[in-house]
Amino acid sequence: MKTYLLQRIAIALLTLLGMSVVIFGLLRLAPGDIVDILFAAAGYVDAEQKQAILKELGMDRPYWVQYLEWLWQIVTGDLGKSYRYELPAWELIKPLLPVTLELAGLAIVISVLLGVPTGVISAVRQDSGLDYVLRVLSLAGLSMPSFWLAMVIILGCVAWLGWIPPMTYVGPTENWRLHALQFLLPALAVGYRSSALIMRITRSALLEVLREDYIRTARAKGQTTRVVVWRHALRNAMLPVVTVIGIEFAFMIGGLVVTETVFNLPGVARFLVEAIQWRDYPMVQNLVMFIAIVVILSNLAVDLLYGVLDPRVRYGD
Amino acid sequence: MIRGQRLALLAGAGLVLAAAVTAPVPARAAKPGGVVTLTLREDLPQGFAVHETSTISTVWPAMPCLNNLVLFDPLKATESPDTVIGELAEKWSWQDGYRNLVFFLRKDVKWHDGKPFTSKDVKYTFDIVREAPDSPAKLRINPRNDWYANVEAVEAADPHTVIFRLKRPQPSLLLMLASGYSPVYAAHVPAASYRTSCLGTGPFKVKEWRKGEFLEYVRNPDYFVKGRPYLDGLKYVVIKEPGTRIAALQTGQVDVSFPNEVSKTNAEQLKAAVPKLVITPYSTNVNDNIIMNIKKPPFDNVKVRRAVSQGIDRRALIQAVHQGGGLVGAAMAPKPYGIWGLLESDLNAQPGYGKPADEKAKARKLLGEVGYSPQSSLKVEMVTRNIAIYVTMASFVISELKQIGIEATLKQIETAQWHATATRGDYQIGANLTGIGPDDPDANFYENFACGSPRNYSFYCSEQVMTQFHQQSQELDPKKRLAQVQAIQKKLEEEAARPLLDWRLDYFTVWPHVKNLVPHQSIYNFARMQEVWIDK
Repeated sequence: MKTYLLQRIAIALLTLLGMSVVIFGLLRLAPGDIVDILFAAAGYVDAEQKQAILKELGMDRPYWVQYLEWLWQIVTGDLGKSYRYELPAWELIKPLLPVTLELAGLAIVISVLLGVPTGVISAVRQDSGLDYVLRVLSLAGLSMPSFWLAMVIILGCVAWLGWIPPMTYVGPTENWRLHALQFLLPALAVGYRSSALIMRITRSALLEVLREDYIRTARAKGQTTRVVVWRHALRNAMLPVVTVIGIEFAFMIGGLVVTETVFNLPGVARFLVEAIQWRDYPMVQNLVMFIAIVVILSNLAVDLLYGVLDPRVRYGD
Repeated sequence: MIRGQRLALLAGAGLVLAAAVTAPVPARAAKPGGVVTLTLREDLPQGFAVHETSTISTVWPAMPCLNNLVLFDPLKATESPDTVIGELAEKWSWQDGYRNLVFFLRKDVKWHDGKPFTSKDVKYTFDIVREAPDSPAKLRINPRNDWYANVEAVEAADPHTVIFRLKRPQPSLLLMLASGYSPVYAAHVPAASYRTSCLGTGPFKVKEWRKGEFLEYVRNPDYFVKGRPYLDGLKYVVIKEPGTRIAALQTGQVDVSFPNEVSKTNAEQLKAAVPKLVITPYSTNVNDNIIMNIKKPPFDNVKVRRAVSQGIDRRALIQAVHQGGGLVGAAMAPKPYGIWGLLESDLNAQPGYGKPADEKAKARKLLGEVGYSPQSSLKVEMVTRNIAIYVTMASFVISELKQIGIEATLKQIETAQWHATATRGDYQIGANLTGIGPDDPDANFYENFACGSPRNYSFYCSEQVMTQFHQQSQELDPKKRLAQVQAIQKKLEEEAARPLLDWRLDYFTVWPHVKNLVPHQSIYNFARMQEVWIDK
């Protein structure tokens, strides 16, 4: 196990290094930079003034110098300074993390609580009326863009309740009820779509497992359907489901931009998009690296979970 | 009681009743206290550095922290020389035939850090804005140094007297100083500090600026106007999604709309949903216009430019793009909102403002005269900024131009590149929006039409018109000046220097408990919030 973990960490570091080159390069390839945006807010561009600002920000140096400086900052724990806000990047990123992690976590919990049971029911009652209804609902969830659903939820709240969730972040200790409402609605919007995917994967994997010989043996021995499904079949069917859950969680960290924007939650994804629009290179680079780290860690967690779910899976020394 | 006494009593009662009915109802006394929640469409670009930006997204939230020498009266919707009131200046005086503008400053003003405000701060501010040779500092971006091109020197005669010495008379200087774009910075902090924080003398102090989320102000208890501000605080909430902003306004989570945000359609929907909302249509001093690169063919030819201008049905654009929420006008904002606009009869006589069918026929004829025909149409690339308010306007214009034989393809330019593209002239024709600080000819003409101005995206340059600019700028007789300004507008339309399509109307929306927030004819000048109170 130790060797496996060390190998994964080494691969993760290589992956992050590769990602850093890609992020750095892509950002510089995008047309325009922060200085162009600053001038856009002023309504004109002056070449001389532009050059002076580029120099002030250190953006006139060769790219390889800027890249190495950024890598050194990461290694030393200094994430640099936001070009836009002229504040340490970490100071700006820190308050965003709990918002996005909480929203993504809640959305995953909702998607699992909705998706797994409905997937099981659908598989066990294959081709029944209930199965068809659940499959239509899951198809709707897959087809409905979460941003559209988010907007519909907001409009529905306005039209029927004359109310929308708070537009500024309410911490759990400030007012837990408002906090819960503030996160529940966007989590539902995102979770519904993810639950649809999890439901389909659960159904498909469980149907395959339910056809196995050992399941037939268990039934022949007189085990009830509940025991057969929940104790024997589901655990073996969970491997692909856990994989999808891991992927979905990782996707959510960076993919919640529209939900965060519509519900006005100050999370990572929304801030990242704005930082991209502003060409705020330090912020974008650090946030994308953070997302990459989350993806790597969630994949690692999923891989380790395989060993728990399936004892045959062992990561040898 | 005898009859006579009864009659006298009745008569007396009648008189009292008449007096009560006809006497003016006293205005409700403003109540102190409360917090008003407003909304922003984006976080403050460049923080509170008003002198380094030209966007309402900075001016609107920054104004409560700052003060000007003078300001347009917040309680009067129409801005004019008559509505200019003192802020940091107690009084002022034009001297030497409008060549010197002397301000006598208040003596009881402190910066939010407790240091006293003096003439040194005024000199510092306007020396850096006008890029004086001996300026102690430099703005890294300076969009309005043209406003002060006529200022020869700013003299701090004593701690409470400052003199603007001009090269020639310029009555407009006072109005430009009254704009929300002309606050006074503190001389004892670097100008760059305004990008991250606000040290002002204004009615409100910054309590917290949570980046990307909100900006919160608290009342300045040492404000130099006693009894002001009425409010305990302000909160500007950043809501990027337009639908969510409207929802927040409708449900009362925000009390005030963002300027230039509520279209006529939104206003009608809001009013239907919440009848008690107070919605005030007003001109924003923002116009839609067409920029044409005069340095390159085909738009170096005035006939082609005029054909473009005449080919666009402005009234149809206002209906189609703004659902009626706009006004037709020339280079200066039209009446009843602007004071310099052309009379309707004069406007209708300008190329492009007459009957659409006639104008289009004239446009086709002009194009024919320069060699274009339905068989050999003019093909151009139209650029515009890739945000909805630009794109819808550009799409309409393209459909109009098609009717006169100009085939235009639309190229959307990202915001980061838009002004660079326009300033460099990397385009043929573009659909543009322009916002102007005060409704003043100097602020408009020198910025948008003067030779060499960086915001003169069409590169229009006429020595004759420049002479006219200088002439009206120095004219002290208001009637003569109005006539000169109107003549310039006609000339600009004749030359199709930058055809104006329409002046946008906004439908400023507030909840009824918000009092004394009066929208002006320019969105950039009424955000001080000093007089605002809540009736709750």
